[in-house]
Amino acid sequence: MNFRSEASRGYSLSAPATAYVGFLVAAPLVILIAYSFWTQTYVTLDKTPTLKNYRDALADPLVRHLVLRSIWIAGAVTAVTVALAYPIAYFIAVKARKKTIWLLLITIPFWSSYLLRVFAWKLILGFNGVMNSALLALGLISEPLDFLLYNEFAVVLTLAHAWAPFAILPIYVSLQKIDPSLLEAATDLGNSPFQRFMRVTLPLTIPGVIAACMIIFIPTVGDYVTPALVGGSDGKMIANLIQVQFGAANNWPLGATLSLIAMLSVGFVAIVFVITATQFGRRIR
Amino acid sequence: MTDRNIIELRDVEKRYGTFVAAGGINLDLKEGEFFSLLGPSGCGKTTVLRMIAGFQEPTKGTVLIDGQDMEGVPANNRPTNMVFQSYAIFPHLNVGNNVAYGLRGKAPMAEIDQRVAEALEMVELGGLQDRGASELSGGQRQRVALARALIMRPKVLLLDEPLSALDKKLREQMQFEMRNLQQSLGITFVMVTHDQYEAMTMSDRIGVMFNGRLKQVDTPTTLYARPCDQQVASFIGEMNILPAQLLGETGDTLSIDAVAFGQMEIQRNPNVTTSSREMNIGIRPEQLEITAEEPEDYPSTVQGTVSNVAFYGENIHYHIQVAETEKPISVSVPNYFHTVDFKRGDAVWLGLQGASVIDLGTDTE
Repeated sequence: MNFRSEASRGYSLSAPATAYVGFLVAAPLVILIAYSFWTQTYVTLDKTPTLKNYRDALADPLVRHLVLRSIWIAGAVTAVTVALAYPIAYFIAVKARKKTIWLLLITIPFWSSYLLRVFAWKLILGFNGVMNSALLALGLISEPLDFLLYNEFAVVLTLAHAWAPFAILPIYVSLQKIDPSLLEAATDLGNSPFQRFMRVTLPLTIPGVIAACMIIFIPTVGDYVTPALVGGSDGKMIANLIQVQFGAANNWPLGATLSLIAMLSVGFVAIVFVITATQFGRRIR
Repeated sequence: MTDRNIIELRDVEKRYGTFVAAGGINLDLKEGEFFSLLGPSGCGKTTVLRMIAGFQEPTKGTVLIDGQDMEGVPANNRPTNMVFQSYAIFPHLNVGNNVAYGLRGKAPMAEIDQRVAEALEMVELGGLQDRGASELSGGQRQRVALARALIMRPKVLLLDEPLSALDKKLREQMQFEMRNLQQSLGITFVMVTHDQYEAMTMSDRIGVMFNGRLKQVDTPTTLYARPCDQQVASFIGEMNILPAQLLGETGDTLSIDAVAFGQMEIQRNPNVTTSSREMNIGIRPEQLEITAEEPEDYPSTVQGTVSNVAFYGENIHYHIQVAETEKPISVSVPNYFHTVDFKRGDAVWLGLQGASVIDLGTDTE
């Protein structure tokens, strides 16, 4: 079998996917970048290239505030989700007997729509919601708690629940791949179960943890449904502002600029995180 | 090797439900001994090793290491270290950190570095501290696993099929190296293997296991010459087993009438019992002489036909079909300048001395 036919077969096999990605990801991205250099003048679009959008956006304290808050909320969601997902993944990979059933149970939230799940949290956390009614009925509180809904806490809680399976699966896979004899070797060389976890299991699952963090962090920064429904004014994120630009404010160039600023900020944070986490893993001996 | 017992197994048993993985194990291992547990796969030898290491608790019985009862002592607190079958080299650590693993936090950095250098020198990997785990060959992984265990200065080193992943040449080289290392360190080695040659070349004593039972514990030469039953006899080396009739006994000499070879006098095997006139004898393939004419200097002879020839280089193996037995008789002849060269279908004579026949007693099973 010669190389040329092998290579051409590879290209032809990947052609549909390449075309798909090209048209549906690359093309919109190019359009987005183009828009960010244009200006909206009421109903018409001024196509003279300019950096005005970027200057305006970066000078606006609201944009900076929302970008930072989005990163902060997404970071909190990632931390909470991964911290809760790791023990579950560990349980399924190491202790559970019927792994398939457990993995199936984990995907159950996906059987209902994302929007419905967000609404469900609204019903649970609301002023007259399940949580308050239960606490009132138990006599633990005398009047409904108003700090449960319409704030950052509600956004973090809702997103953490929605994204849990995405964190569990990559960590589960990386745990599953660990050769059990490595753990026995660590024990044999004098490690307690905790030391063994810190020195063998954790460093070997860092790729899985990084994957889980990225899978959650990147989409949650740009989430706008959850903050819109349960975030109130304190829980608004950058995506809500972008949505307004493409909708009510009808300023697509500014929306495109904000999108790109958000994208670059997220990219930067993600790269710093991946490098730090990898370095951390390398330092463990 | 001293007379002090370093490991004592007292009526040890491991059950999984109703399945007895290993049972009735009584074994004393001497300090500085190279001991092998030999048996076919699934015979329970690894289970015994893992009970000594502490990865499995016996269902019944006692494991003593250096006189201490190990019940309830987890593997990380036992004075044993193990070389795993897969070697279990930590993939995220380089060679130096793999070897240093067990010493981290237990000795000062400078001492660890020095001991790692010494341990690597000992297994002939000197200076390879910075080599990544994924860059090692099979033989190097084996040496790293050995260094990582030996650096802990264990009272007993446990080896689970340590050479099975290596190719034949390397395996034979490592057999000698490991034996030399064990003798120079004076540490007790307990090795699990299914390879009888490996067990015989390396060990002071061998324990042969079948179906969870320890059948016979002896030196390699005794196992070969005085096996305790047919199963052990045919597992250690090759063996022709023939039925015979006991005619009489005087002291340690048995007078018998063997199928095909006729009457002869053989040595009594103290490891077996002969409870009736019906008994079995064993003949090692290399103890038979094969000639074209009837040999004169052999008291027992039989005529047959060559049914199969296998050339091994240093030896030639023949299968000789004789009229009196169903199975052909195996004969192994050293390849002395091609002086012996029979073809399939040739008529030959087999010659045998009574002194080289093994008494296998009456089969009780």
